[in-house]
Formats: sequence, C-alpha cells, structure tokens
Amino acid sequence: MLEIEGLEAGYGPVRVLHGISLKVPKGRVVTLIGANGAGKSTTLRAVSGMIQPTAGQVRLAGKNITGLPAHRVAQAGLAHSPEGRRIFPNQSVRDNLILGAYTRLTFGHSRPRGDISGDFERALDLFPRLRERQYQLAGTLSGGEQQMLAMARALMLNPDVLLLDEPSLGLAPVLVEEVFHIIRRLKSEGITMLLVEQFAHAALAVADYGFVMENGRIVLEGSATELQRDEQVKSAYLGH
Amino acid sequence: MNILTQLVLSGMALGMIYAVIAFGYQSTFATSGTLNFGQGEALMLGAMTGLSLTGEIMGGPYLNYWLMVPVVLVIGSLQGLVVEFLAVRPALRIHSEFGWIMSTIALGIIFRNVAENVWGRDDVPFPSPLPTTPVHILGANILPMELGVMVGALLLMGLMELFNRRTLYGKAVVATSSDRGAAGLMGIDTRAVIAFSYALSSLTAAFAGVLIAPITLTGASMGSVLGLKAFAVAIIGGLTSGMGAVVGGLILGIAETTTGFYFSTGYKDVPGLILLLLILAWKPNGLFGRAAVQKF
Repeated sequence: MLEIEGLEAGYGPVRVLHGISLKVPKGRVVTLIGANGAGKSTTLRAVSGMIQPTAGQVRLAGKNITGLPAHRVAQAGLAHSPEGRRIFPNQSVRDNLILGAYTRLTFGHSRPRGDISGDFERALDLFPRLRERQYQLAGTLSGGEQQMLAMARALMLNPDVLLLDEPSLGLAPVLVEEVFHIIRRLKSEGITMLLVEQFAHAALAVADYGFVMENGRIVLEGSATELQRDEQVKSAYLGH
Repeated sequence: MNILTQLVLSGMALGMIYAVIAFGYQSTFATSGTLNFGQGEALMLGAMTGLSLTGEIMGGPYLNYWLMVPVVLVIGSLQGLVVEFLAVRPALRIHSEFGWIMSTIALGIIFRNVAENVWGRDDVPFPSPLPTTPVHILGANILPMELGVMVGALLLMGLMELFNRRTLYGKAVVATSSDRGAAGLMGIDTRAVIAFSYALSSLTAAFAGVLIAPITLTGASMGSVLGLKAFAVAIIGGLTSGMGAVVGGLILGIAETTTGFYFSTGYKDVPGLILLLLILAWKPNGLFGRAAVQKF
C-alpha cells in the first residue's frame, strides 16, 4: 500500500535520511523503531509532505506522491498523526474532528465523502473520553486525551494508510496501555498503519513487521517475532 | 450639549475604523506571520475607487453608495491577492524572515504613486450616503455617517467571527492560524488560506476606506496615517485578539478626539503613541494578546 524507496531528506543543509526503503502492505501494521534522533519522525514527515524529500520515491497505492505538498498527500489518502500531537488548541474537540474530515467535506479534488457522521460516531465510540469533551476547547484536554484526539482526527480522513508518530510519548503507563489497545483494535479493523515508537517492546507486540533505524538508515528488518527474538534488538531497544 | 459625550462618540467612530484596519493586519498575521504594510494604501484604493463609482470625478456617478460597496469589496480582495502574490509569496518561499516587510511597503508606495497620477494629489470630498445633519444622542450631536461607521464596522467583524466559527472554510482558516503544518496534514491548502487572508485584509481595509471617506477627505495620501495608526492599534490590542483590536481602536480614537479638544489638535496623536510605547515596554503581546491555550 505504501512503498518508500531510497528516501533522502533533511532540514536545510543537514541531511537526516540517507536512503530509506520500506514497505507497508495493505491491512498490515509495520513499525519503525530506533533511538532518539535516528530519523523516524523525519521519515514520516518526508512521506506526508511536511518536509520535501531530496531524493527517492514514495508511492501510495501505486501512485507516486513524492514531494507533494502535505494537503495533496492527505487528499491522496494518507493520514499522519504527527509528533507532539499538534491538535488545534483554540478549537473544540468536535471542530478538530471535523477538520480531520476536511478533504471529505470540501468540493473539488478531494476524498470521497462516505459516511462522515457514521465515522464521527465511530471515533467517539473508540475514544469515549472525547465524546464527553466534544464541545470543550482541545487545548484544555489532558495529554492523554490530546493524543486520543490526534489519532481520532487522523482517522476522520478515512485513510488508506495511517502514520502514527510516537502515540505513547509522555503518557502515563495506564494511558500507554490504552493507546496500544486502540492500535490493536484499529489493526483488527484492517487499517494499514506505519507506527513509529520508542517503546519497541509494545510496538513489536502489535506490529506484523518491523524496521530498525539508526543514524538515518535502516539497519535491520524482519517480522515482528523475529525482531523480538533478535539479540541485537533485545540489547539495544528491548532493555534486556 | 455635552462636549465629553460628543468627543467620546466621535472618537468611537474613528476608533472603529482603526479597529477594522487592525483586524486586517491580524488576519494575515494569524495565517502567515506576515503583515501588509500597504494596508493604508489598500484603504485609500478602496475609498478612491468608491469615489470614482459613486462620485463625479470620473464622469459618474455610476452606482449609488450601497451598490458601490460590494464592488469595492471585490476590487479590494483582488488587490489583496496581488499583494500576496507579488510581495509575500516569494518572501515566504525562500523563508526570508523580513523580505515581506520591504516588499509590502514598496508595493504600498507604488499603489500610492499610481493613485496620485490617476486621481491627482488633492483631497476631494466624498458624497455622504446618509443625511449630513447631525442627530442628537445623549446630548451630543453626531453625524448619521459616524453611526453608520460604527454599525458597519461591527457588522463586518461579526460576520468574520461567524465565518470563522461556523463554516468549514472558516475553521480551516483558524486551524491554519494555530498550526500551519498540522493544517496541511488535514488536507487544507495552507498557501491558499494565506492568499485568502490577504484578500480578506485588503477587503476590510477597502471597506474601512468607503466607511470613513464620507466623514473625512478622500485623496491619494489619506491611507498612510490611518494605516500606521491602525498598526499601533493592532500592537496595543494584541496581534492575535479581535477583541483587542476593538478596545485598542476605541482607546486610540477617544484619546485623539479628547486630546484634540482639551489640549491642542497638534498633539492629538501623542497620547495614543505614548500608550503604544508603554504597551511595547510592559505588555509586548498587547493588552489582549495571549499565548495559545495548551497543556502538555
């Protein structure tokens, strides 16, 4: 569904990615793990158009989306729940979700409408705390709730592929568990995901396949079970 | 007749004009972090095209005042798109931090020169669409057009607020203002939103132009001082707060009329500008400027 080939990108003169190649097959969950600063978030940003790649190719459902501006990538069907959540703090929870469905609500070159109100209800079922706080300003939510909102908002695109960047970052352990529980549920619904995580253990437990990044390169890949057993991964990322 | 009420009411009319122009500054600052320093010239172009349509200077009148207003608003928006395209977009593309300052000022000067050549350098009266005999309110004499200014300004700002809160495209503008990157991820074409905000800011300036023209003199140089004072208002009230623009505008407007009467018209601009200096020293975000509500 999502294919990345030889992707290079960076910030200004600093090159961060040195040729990343990976594939996310339809209906699968693939995780990208690695230490802080390995280039995981940068990879997602270069895919979703938040930054411009300098080389390589990104294909979504066979369509070349390399270097398109972010809004065109979203229109093509890729949702990105970015690092730091980036919810719209001065707008209500409800408005945040409506904005998630922006491409389905506008006329012209946008995504098929589908059942928007059905998806809205589904998102609130999936994240019951958001239902209670629908009319509250998103900025007043707790960190965990903001993360839920960021995920729910991305789902409102009804995406072909969902990129999740560190959904557990800065959350209390009980909330981390809840987030992974939801990821598991999305997986059972057949949503294709690329998950970036520092909690390699939890990520590999939910993923089908994994890639390990170091200094802007993929250094290891394999099925999630293979990686969980791999000595190198164990010592570096699984903490035992 | 109560002099103070008189001064306050006139000050309010003037202040609402400042508020409308300041509102235009805020709209582009919110979406792009840039300002159109040719805002005063956008106001002047609005007033001059309005006068050409409704007055006799170009062989008119072609339209009455009320039909002229929508035409001027359309022309104003187009002028804003030109400013965005020529002066702002190139600067944003190369991530130039200050390039847009010079380029919007330059474009403003060009617009003023063109206006001087098309319409001449002299100030001319603008026919008032409302009766010019003052009405009595709270013991003061006030021109119907001064009331018209206040109503028009509040109407425009109310409509904008409604647009931002109630419509999908308004929500997209607000989202772009709070986080351009995240707005892009929603599928919002943020470059188009920035262009739209420039159209909107010139539209509001042009509207302010046709509102104020009947109670002042209309001419190619009318915009510079108004644009600058409205900028002071935007700083006093805060570049992020619509409420701040109104309060800042009223403070400056009333300070001007009262100083003009009780001290000397020569000093009428002083209190407002002293206030500006004080605000910059103690509350650099303005009276109502706020940091985004966000918890981590």
